[in-house]
Amino acid sequence: MVSEPAVTEGAPARGARLAALGKAAPRGPAGGPGRGGIVPRGGRGARPWPPPTRGYRVFRVINAIILALVVVAVLFPFLNVLAQSFSSERYINAGQVNLWPRGFNLTTYEHVMSDPLFWENYRNTIFYTVTATVVAMVVTTCYAYVLSKPRLRGRKVLIGIAVFTMFFNGGIIPNYVLVSFLHMRDTVWAIALPNAINIFNLLVMKSFFENMPPELEEAAAVDGMDTYRILWRIVLPLSKAVIATMTLFYAVMFWNSWFSAFLYMDNQGLFTVTVYLRNVVDSVTSVASGQQSAGTQVQIAANIQAVTVVLVAVPILFVYPFIQRYFVSGVTLGAVKG
Amino acid sequence: MHQPSRRQFLAGAGAGAAALAVAACSNPPSSSSASAGSQAGAMKSYGVGTQFKATEPLTFSIAMLSNPAYPYNANWPFFKYLKQMTNVSFNPTVIPFADYNTKTATLINAGQAPMIIPKIYPGEEDQYVAGGAILAVSDYVHLMPNFQDKVAKWNLDGDLNQLRQANGKYYLLPSLLQSVWQDYTLGVRGDILDKLAIPTPSTWTGVQSMMLAMKHAHPGLYPLSDRFNQPTPGGNFLNILSAAYGTAAGWGYQAFNNGAYWDASSGAFVFAGTMPQYKAMVTFANQMYNQGLIDPESFTQADTIALQKLTSGKSFVISENAQGVVTDQATLSSGQTIVKLPLPAGPLGKTLAQNASGRISSGGGVMISSKALSSPNFTALMQFIDWLYYSDAGQLFAKWGVQGVTYTGSVTDGTFKLEPDVTWAGLNPAGKKKLNADFGFFNGVFVTYTGTTELLDSQFPAAELAFQKGMASWGISPLAPPAPLTTTQTQSATLTGTTLLDTVQSQTLQFILGKRPLSQWDSYVSELNSQGASQFVSTYNQAYTTYKQQHG
Repeated sequence: MVSEPAVTEGAPARGARLAALGKAAPRGPAGGPGRGGIVPRGGRGARPWPPPTRGYRVFRVINAIILALVVVAVLFPFLNVLAQSFSSERYINAGQVNLWPRGFNLTTYEHVMSDPLFWENYRNTIFYTVTATVVAMVVTTCYAYVLSKPRLRGRKVLIGIAVFTMFFNGGIIPNYVLVSFLHMRDTVWAIALPNAINIFNLLVMKSFFENMPPELEEAAAVDGMDTYRILWRIVLPLSKAVIATMTLFYAVMFWNSWFSAFLYMDNQGLFTVTVYLRNVVDSVTSVASGQQSAGTQVQIAANIQAVTVVLVAVPILFVYPFIQRYFVSGVTLGAVKG
Repeated sequence: MHQPSRRQFLAGAGAGAAALAVAACSNPPSSSSASAGSQAGAMKSYGVGTQFKATEPLTFSIAMLSNPAYPYNANWPFFKYLKQMTNVSFNPTVIPFADYNTKTATLINAGQAPMIIPKIYPGEEDQYVAGGAILAVSDYVHLMPNFQDKVAKWNLDGDLNQLRQANGKYYLLPSLLQSVWQDYTLGVRGDILDKLAIPTPSTWTGVQSMMLAMKHAHPGLYPLSDRFNQPTPGGNFLNILSAAYGTAAGWGYQAFNNGAYWDASSGAFVFAGTMPQYKAMVTFANQMYNQGLIDPESFTQADTIALQKLTSGKSFVISENAQGVVTDQATLSSGQTIVKLPLPAGPLGKTLAQNASGRISSGGGVMISSKALSSPNFTALMQFIDWLYYSDAGQLFAKWGVQGVTYTGSVTDGTFKLEPDVTWAGLNPAGKKKLNADFGFFNGVFVTYTGTTELLDSQFPAAELAFQKGMASWGISPLAPPAPLTTTQTQSATLTGTTLLDTVQSQTLQFILGKRPLSQWDSYVSELNSQGASQFVSTYNQAYTTYKQQHG
């Protein structure tokens, strides 16, 4: 439903032109059931709000308190890690670091940032994330657009194939054999291609494209555009919200993922920073897990873990504010089928 | 570094699924076909005391664990010296420490395993035996004079027998220790002992009276608040306590075949969780708990919480090992000390229970890929492994490096010292160069807690050396005989064993923490029997009898 403003806002001029051509006219007022529904709701929005009742004001206060508590609960672990990253190990192990660093120092940051392997893996993460996100967006968008066309022959089969992979997959070893067989080990393709289509994202995009008024594309076709130009010139510019959202989903997914890089890369110069991070964090927990000599498994200090977590998490956090304006409308896009 | 791994990959993947199928289905060839045509690079006269040097430059593929404390570095002097001495270099598959087993399992099952797979602990090789991708090394130890020499000299045949599968072969080259190495015990705040003038206890009743004295002086706290509870509650505490009573609990429980405990007096396997010794142990722990000596959270809390209680003075006693003493001391305030107690003795006296076998399981071992057998360098590979992992010279080199570069003196006469600027763990803390991170020595991939007692002792600071001296007077309880299960037996034993393990673990804590009165012990025993405890044990007894008939 929320998609409607985005579409009209995006193309007022074209809408007018289409109307002038008389293409939109026959279906316009009646619309589909979904589009019919939006009209009265839009009208209600225009009416002045009634004065808030006392009960409503109490509700708002309680609501604000509860939400503030949720925010605190969500932020606390992150702030705690941040405080730990600036603290000295001794206070962390004694459990005395909460929200404020104790034994403030920057030496741990210097230590971690002076490790060339950390930066090497960081570069890999950026490179893999960008490449894999581009590949995933191209493939997913094309597939979703095709699936959104009811006239496509074999559409049900194509959807079935996609959904099938959501419930069943070959498992680690067959995947590994396949990737090896295709000579993709130790390359970015081992990360990008097997994860190129996320079925959830695919279905959301398909649903979004289905909700787009068919008149736009019909008009463009009458104007002489072929399928690819319609997709490129008409559909994609009107789909910025869903594209931004899906890009974010994919980018965060690839940034956070470690298993593909761990499994398909045999050289630590090709690992991602998440593999590096996992190695640092996990080595502490696995040391004491059995009666095996801990002598060669030197523990990584708690503050080094915290610093690495901060350095890995911060960049992807900064992506959110830039995409956020698309985000709110984006997540619910196509959620309700029109 | 990049190039060879691709070549290796092409060789492996070129054959594709066919190679996989062959690796998965073919049985390991018999030993008679071993030596012909696989002599390239091997030494004609290689024996104990010989320095191995390949007659031509060789490259072996290896699973290279990368430890975050000393990440793998292709430029480590270790590799340079190794090449000079042996003419061998590596083609590594670098695997992060955290998920080493996941990746090695994938590589092995996908038919792409490197020739050398180190850091495999006894028992971990069992899952690969049926697949045939791992070499039955017991057929080829005749190529390994140092290995055979140490097994004979240190009388390790009984220990090795425990690695044997139902076909009588073993698939893992374990680490070999001259004597059992006990690292874990209880640690205690040394300054508190001094302040309260408590003598250092050497028995469990001594530990009890020590904690009673602490409780008397500080009534508001629990003297013992323990750690090492994941994944096994009370992992270390129950392990050393049960060993003192002649039974198994804690993380030693699973090491004894999930509770199938060898009772030497009756010559049969019995179920550990229902032994009278087990009841005596639980009764003693419950008594200490009732006296307020044990924190109620002691067996379930996270390690960090337990350590916080220790450093903030809310507890005085905690499970310790040599490495832990060094790291824990750093978090204590000045004037506070943490020391390892001598391993407390129990009703069994000064007798160490061997978990499976302490002399071959305290360090990781090496598996060899079955594909290595078809390599022209197979003999050289086995000689190389023998030299690096099992010769005195190879072990010394992997551990401490090169005399005059990283260390001075000699391990055998006790004059061993690291060079002043080289540091490792607690030794030479002021040194600037790290023995492992900067040189590549003392790397868990090549150092497997193996070798003579002198070599092992050379790594300990004075306090730990004193602890080890104290352990020298301890005897060893009899080893369990081999009782390898067939695949079907393994499956049923795993199923019932897991259920039984859950019951034993949870009920043990219930008894100790007083949530279930000890008067209900008999109903606990019948619960276990209704879950199949006696069947479970008889599976092992059957396997024992069968093995004895077939292989003597």
